Amino acid sequence: MTIKALQQISAGRNGVGAFILQCKRMDFHYCDWAGSSKGMNGFIKSLLPKFTAAHPQVEFSISPRPRKHPVIVAHYINGHSRSQCVRNLEPYSILQKAEELRDASGEPLRRVTKPVQSANPSVRGVWSPYHGEGMKV
Amino acid sequence: MDALATRRAVSCCHRALLAPSGTAAPSRALLTTTPRPTTSPAAAAAVALGALSLPSGARTKATAARTRRALRIQPHYSFLHPPNKPGYPAYERPTTDEIIFNPPSSAASVYHTPVKFLPKADPRRRTAALVAAAAGTGSSTPSGLVDLDAFPTVNMPDARPRHHLTKADIEEMRRLRTADPVTNSVVTLARRYECSQLFVLMCCHAPPAHRAKMREEEAKVRARWGPRRRSAREERARRNLMLQNGEL
Amino acid sequence: MKRLRLDRWTSPLLAARPAPCPASRPRAALRPTTAASAFSRGTAVRYQSTDTTPEEHIAAPQEDYDDGTDHVRFPPLEKLPPGAASLPSPPPERALRSAKLAALKARLALPDRVPLQTLARALVDASADQNRLFNNSSLAFVGQTFINYHVSEWLLCRYPRLPMKILYAAMKGYAGPISLHHVARSWGIEHAAAPGGEVDPGLLQFSMHKPGDAFVALGYRRSEADHLKHNKWRHSLSNSVVFDDDFGDLIDTQDQADKMRARPDTEYGNEYTRMLAENAYATCVRAVVGTLYAHAGREPAKAFVKAHILARTLEIERLFSFKHPTRELSMLCAREDFEAPVARLLSETGRLSRTPVYNVGIFSGGDKLGEGAAASLDHARAKAAMNALMSWYLYSPGENVSVPSDMLEDGAKPWTPAYIDMGEVVGR
Repeated sequence: MTIKALQQISAGRNGVGAFILQCKRMDFHYCDWAGSSKGMNGFIKSLLPKFTAAHPQVEFSISPRPRKHPVIVAHYINGHSRSQCVRNLEPYSILQKAEELRDASGEPLRRVTKPVQSANPSVRGVWSPYHGEGMKV
Repeated sequence: MDALATRRAVSCCHRALLAPSGTAAPSRALLTTTPRPTTSPAAAAAVALGALSLPSGARTKATAARTRRALRIQPHYSFLHPPNKPGYPAYERPTTDEIIFNPPSSAASVYHTPVKFLPKADPRRRTAALVAAAAGTGSSTPSGLVDLDAFPTVNMPDARPRHHLTKADIEEMRRLRTADPVTNSVVTLARRYECSQLFVLMCCHAPPAHRAKMREEEAKVRARWGPRRRSAREERARRNLMLQNGEL
Repeated sequence: MKRLRLDRWTSPLLAARPAPCPASRPRAALRPTTAASAFSRGTAVRYQSTDTTPEEHIAAPQEDYDDGTDHVRFPPLEKLPPGAASLPSPPPERALRSAKLAALKARLALPDRVPLQTLARALVDASADQNRLFNNSSLAFVGQTFINYHVSEWLLCRYPRLPMKILYAAMKGYAGPISLHHVARSWGIEHAAAPGGEVDPGLLQFSMHKPGDAFVALGYRRSEADHLKHNKWRHSLSNSVVFDDDFGDLIDTQDQADKMRARPDTEYGNEYTRMLAENAYATCVRAVVGTLYAHAGREPAKAFVKAHILARTLEIERLFSFKHPTRELSMLCAREDFEAPVARLLSETGRLSRTPVYNVGIFSGGDKLGEGAAASLDHARAKAAMNALMSWYLYSPGENVSVPSDMLEDGAKPWTPAYIDMGEVVGR
């Protein structure tokens, strides 16, 4: 045989075919006593039930953290986690923070300079100096 | 869409200009191909080099703005003067749908099957025939426009079997090889019987004593190699392997 | 690639318990007795079937035994030994209360017809629970067959000219254990540190200390497998199509067991334990597909495979490695009655320069077959031949080519025959 096979592994592209939300678990911590948790307690009472119902693909856990500031910890599929302190925030601001954490991918924050990142090869091909007619200068 | 249509293309070589929606012009698509002039390899090489060179000192301006200005080059002439329409002003928006087919200078993708390789029933064959008819050539690829004999050939094996050797010839070849393997080497036999060396190797085996002797001689030659020749050989083998695996 | 009767396979799987009721959550809960109360009496039994609905379990989880189950009709499947301290895997009733499992089901957008108990069973590897009625091996076998059938069918229709070796490699690239392990990781599946009845049912459970032998690939164990491996006997590709597994690999369970015995027991594991973990994850993906097939049917399972496995990217042109590209191209042209290929130098940057580049094209008659640029004439010619061969082998009738299983859908479009190639150019 003149052909051998070199083994390659297929690479996943989230959103092509199926989309998996990258945030897999969110922990909400509150304190019954401290004033900085006032907004968080209101959030848990009024907004959280709707938020959890809207996101069945995320595992939620709510636990007290006495005498500490309230915090939201989000765990992501890539193994990273991100925590957000929500002390002294209003319930709707906390909802905003929770949505930010839900939408994050878990990757470290990077400055994005290129508008499009793609694994696909360019349809037009990579420019090559050895092809085409070139340009007379 | 408007922005795309009015902006001058600088590096984009393949663009589709469509009339803005709502115009009364009938929707009509036309495909124009750019016939390539006959080029000699030397001219092609010069062009390829010319495309890479920049005005001297372009990178050594005092300020970033001046560098940018110096590096700003005119659009390709094919955009300013489309080949089929002399004096056609590029900035004027066309009133009809038009597809400008001006492929970029890039190597063809292996996913783009040459027309010759398409099965007989593939619809792409019909499109290719239309394009060839429009370009006025019998061949299916643009290269048909160029006189191929102008390009020098590089050695290529011909695997077409000729079947010109009879059984008696092969028996004779075997006899010769067994009788005197030194005089009747593989190269000599291939030349005498006008066949490939691979065919000679397939037909006859040298006596084991001869093979051992040849191996011994080769080992002696290898033993004389210094570190540079040895490493050069190893690197060459590694390079060949990389080429086979598509890493080069 | 082998002829399969999938519909026959899952029937015993579903027949083992009452038919699932599609309207609500199934009554077919895998129902053991509550572990604690059972162990206090010294014996434990695990039931796979029960007549009660899961809602009743949630309402009264502590009431066991007298839940109306007809134990004559659904006898206990396994009697644990009296000394057993714990169940090998979590009892299925706990699946209904696992947040992780519910989140996983929602994340995969599995339909309501798939019960959480079966999804929990798909997460129990054969190495964690030896009982085939409680581990995922049967589900995984169905899933593996289903995945491999759809991947191979899609590849054969999409790239009808792929050589067999490349086809096997592409199959492995899409549906092999490493690839499926990545799929499982991308679903956010985590594994338990050690399997047991007390862990969360939403965690993947496998053991690296007790080998499980339940999962068997589709293929034959050869009697001459040892010679093939150790004496490097030749075996042809057609031989391998018949005997070996779906990726063209030898099946050697004995060798695997030997390796398992010889495995060094380090804290963080070694390459072999990593392979075991990868296999457990891959088996879990196959079992999820098998679950979906068993409960929701063919179409949802096919859509699932398409979305999660076939939608991944594999650069097929990077699978090729040619030994004699120019010779093979010449043979191809001779076989197909094309003019003999001629390599021509199209351009060069100057052969006396320090880094010359040659651009060589290969022509057959007036048609260019391929082009390659390299630093030497020989390499450029070989590269051009490789590109030409690849564009032959990578011929595709189109992006959305129809596959035979499309015909099984209701209201399918009339079948357009798939392109069948005469086969690869056999090298000398």
